[in-house]
Formats: sequence, C-alpha cells, structure tokens
Amino acid sequence: MIPIGPVIRLYHIVKSYGDRDALRDVSVTVDKGEMVYITGPSGAGKSTLLKLLYGAELPSSGKMLIGGVDVSKLDRHSLPTLRRNMGVVFQDFKLLPRRTVGQNVAMALEVIGAAEEQVRRRVPAVLNIVGLRGREDDAAGVLSGGEKQRVAIARAIVNDPPILLADEPTGNVDGAMAVEVMEILQAINLRGTTVLVATHDVGLMDRFPYRRLRLVDGKLVAGAAPRARA
Amino acid sequence: MIGVVRRAARGIREHLYLFFVATGVVAAALVLLGTFALVVVNLQGLVAGWQQDVHVSAYFQPSLGVEDWAEAKSAIAGRVEVDAVSLVSPEEAAAWMTERMPEVSEVVGELGPSALPASLEITLRAEHRGAEAVDAFAESLSASGRFAEVDYGREWVGRAGSFLELLGMLGVALGVIIAVAALFLVGNTINLVVLARRDELEILRLVGATDGYILGPFVVEGVAQGLLGALAALGCLQAVHRGLLVQLDDILPLAFGAESLHFLPAGLVLALGLGGVLIGALPAWVAGRRFLARLP
Repeated sequence: MIPIGPVIRLYHIVKSYGDRDALRDVSVTVDKGEMVYITGPSGAGKSTLLKLLYGAELPSSGKMLIGGVDVSKLDRHSLPTLRRNMGVVFQDFKLLPRRTVGQNVAMALEVIGAAEEQVRRRVPAVLNIVGLRGREDDAAGVLSGGEKQRVAIARAIVNDPPILLADEPTGNVDGAMAVEVMEILQAINLRGTTVLVATHDVGLMDRFPYRRLRLVDGKLVAGAAPRARA
Repeated sequence: MIGVVRRAARGIREHLYLFFVATGVVAAALVLLGTFALVVVNLQGLVAGWQQDVHVSAYFQPSLGVEDWAEAKSAIAGRVEVDAVSLVSPEEAAAWMTERMPEVSEVVGELGPSALPASLEITLRAEHRGAEAVDAFAESLSASGRFAEVDYGREWVGRAGSFLELLGMLGVALGVIIAVAALFLVGNTINLVVLARRDELEILRLVGATDGYILGPFVVEGVAQGLLGALAALGCLQAVHRGLLVQLDDILPLAFGAESLHFLPAGLVLALGLGGVLIGALPAWVAGRRFLARLP
C-alpha cells in the first residue's frame, strides 16, 4: 500500500510524441489526502499527465514516484499493481452497457480475486456513497450521463484505492449533475483518498476550490507544490 | 479455475452469436480436414488391400515331373515368407482357362491337357508383400532353376507401393496446408470476437487485471469452441460416411474391390478433437495477446 507523505512526486517530466513535447519539464508534488485540479486549455497536456500517472504512457525523461515507488520505467508486469492502487474515471465513463450497474462495479473487485461475499458487501456500500443505492441490477446502458459517471466513480473507488484520477469527469454531464459529481469526488477526498481531477471548468473549480496545477503548452505554470509548501 | 470458467461462460452468453460463428468456422475447418483424412484413409486401405492380393505364380520347367513339383511345393511351403502354396497341375490350369475364357477352350482342347505348364500359386505373408520383398522372393525362385517363369505382377506391386508412399506424403502436405488455412480462418474470426470485446478488455486493463486474468477466459472459450466444433465436425463426417455407405455399398466391391468405406480410426478421431482444441485455443490466445499489447 502507499505510505503517508507525498503520494505523488514528479521530477522534470518530459513527454514527447515525435518532435512535439506534450509535457515539458514538469515537476509536481501531491500530498496524501490532497484534492488537486489539473487544468489548462485544450491540448495543454492534462490528459497526458494523467496517462503517465496511471501508466498508460511512460515519460520520455524525468522521474515519477507514486507512493515512493519509481514508476518512470514501469514494466508491463508491474502495471496491474499500480492500477489496483489507483482508481481512474473518464469523461466517456467506460462502462459495459449490457452489464448491470453491480457487475460493472464488481469488475474492479473481481480482478483482485475478491471473494463473492466481499463483492456482495462492497458493491452496495460503494453505490450508496455515489447515490445509486438499490440500482445494482439496472442495466448500465439505460442510465443517464450523470448516473453513468457515478457508476464509473463507484468502480474506481470500490477497491478503496489511495489515489483517484478523474479525466474531465464532468465533461459529459449537465451543470447540475456536474456539481453532484464534484460533490461525490469531494466526499471521497474527505474519506482520505488523494484525488486528481483534470478539468477546464473554471466555474466548478471556483465552486470547489482546491490547488490548481495549471498547464500551458505542456509546461506547468502554477501550483507545482502543495499550498503549505508553496 | 472456476472463476476463469465462470467468466468464460459469461463472455459466451454476452456474445453468443460470435461464439457460434467461431465454433462454426472451427467445425467447417475440421470438416475439411476430416473429409480429406477420410479420403486418404480409404484410399490407403483400398491400395493396401490391392497390395494384399499379390501372389506369386511360378511355372515349372516342362522337363520336371509330378515328384519334382511335390518336392518343390514342400520346399517352398517351408519358407518363412510363405503363407500358403498350392500346386496347379496342367489339367487344372486347362480347366481353369476353359472355364474363365471359353473362347480359347477349343485351342486348349486341341493342344491337349499338357499344353499348359504346372505351376505353384504362392501367397506370401503380409509382412513380405512389399515390392522389394516380393522381388527378392521371385528372384530366389528363378535362381532355383525349377521354374521357367515366375510371375507376380511386378509393376503393380511397385506402383501400389509408390502410390501408397505418394498418398502418405500428399496426405501430410495437404493436411498441414489445410490445418494452417484453418488456423488463419479461425484466427480472423477470433480477431472479430476480440474486437467486439475491446471495451471489456480495456476496462479490465484499467482496473488492474493481469494479462493472465484477461486471457484465461479467452482461451477457455477457444477450447470450448474447438471441442464443440470438433463434435459438430465429427457428427457431419459420420453423417456423410453413413450416407455414402448407403449409396455406395453395392458398388464399391465391384468397382474397386473394397469391402466397405471405413470411418476415421480412433487415433484420427482423437487427433481431430485435439486439433479442434488447438485451432480454437491457439488463435484466441494469440489474438488476445496481440490486442492486449496495443492497450494502454
């Protein structure tokens, strides 16, 4: 498990695609239990930074420590371990529409070999947290956008991971529902989970004020260190 | 293991149509392989049967008499290669010829009963019926000086042997070609199955599933497709075999000297089943791995 202290440390991270630098010399520290926005205009590198954090991409150079473990040169076999310690939420939900809400959430428990009894206990509990109590047997495909995002969040936190990454989690939901999604993320953060949210919704950031890592053209221009350290 | 099978069963339920398409492709490939095997097995049986019919006719020198014939018969009967030997006297030969070829009966009658030479009709043991063995046996008879001519359908024995050899080589070559084609055919179908499930694989990857966890149910589904495909293929082959038996049973003995059409021997049935498992599971594993390698 990830220890107490800075949970994420990035040192001089560069990510290049051919001649183009998506991230340029990004150094960031995120403390355990913090909630942080990754913000900036489209193409600034927000999603790229999240991809590096959940191991979908490797940095071209620099060092990344997550929970004290160097994941800058993560091999394929270590990837599942990283992802079991990290929930990820996407703008497009990434749910299986033909499966039920409960089955979608249970996937994250099944991959770690959780016992059926644990699945039966954890899934309703986590659906309760996201406001979908009693909806286990509904087909995921018939839910509204906001409900789908809440199922995706439930799946991301069902293993109780120390870190939750959310890539534009309110991008596909309307205003009122976006606030609800943010309230859920905030509640999860209050339970001790470190939450990183990539968004460019200034209104939401103003309403839920947390540290903002601002990226412009792949360069971090604000919010590199936790407020107390700044 | 139970978890893997359960997840495979869920995968099959969710993509039932694709499962049966893939199973059908496996079955079609195996029917192709099995039909070819059926043809080869029966041809080999037929040719081997013809080869079994080979026997040696040794015609005595005209100068030898009844005692020499009997002595020669008993000497040859004692040889290890010989299964049976019978003496055909000139009279018996004349009677046989008259019966089988009535048009020459007049000529045979005019020439008298001793016109045809006495002979020994020799049947060799199965293990001595190969072209080289028959050659050697016939040469030893000729060298004894007792026989004016030794006849054993030399060309036929040689051709039958060569044909069997060629059939065997062709069988292996065509079998390999068909098996490879079947693998590609099934592989492409499995690729479609993998593509249809790309969302599921991507999500599993994101929530921390290992390659083994993701691939396990795929391979189990492949094994199930292979086994079901093999059963379906064997059912089809059995039906075709029975149908042909009904249609051809009267014709076969007359046309080819074959007693009946044989079904695949147990070893080949087992090989077809294992082949089904292989062409079901291997492409599933390969396609799954290739897809996983592309996932973030």
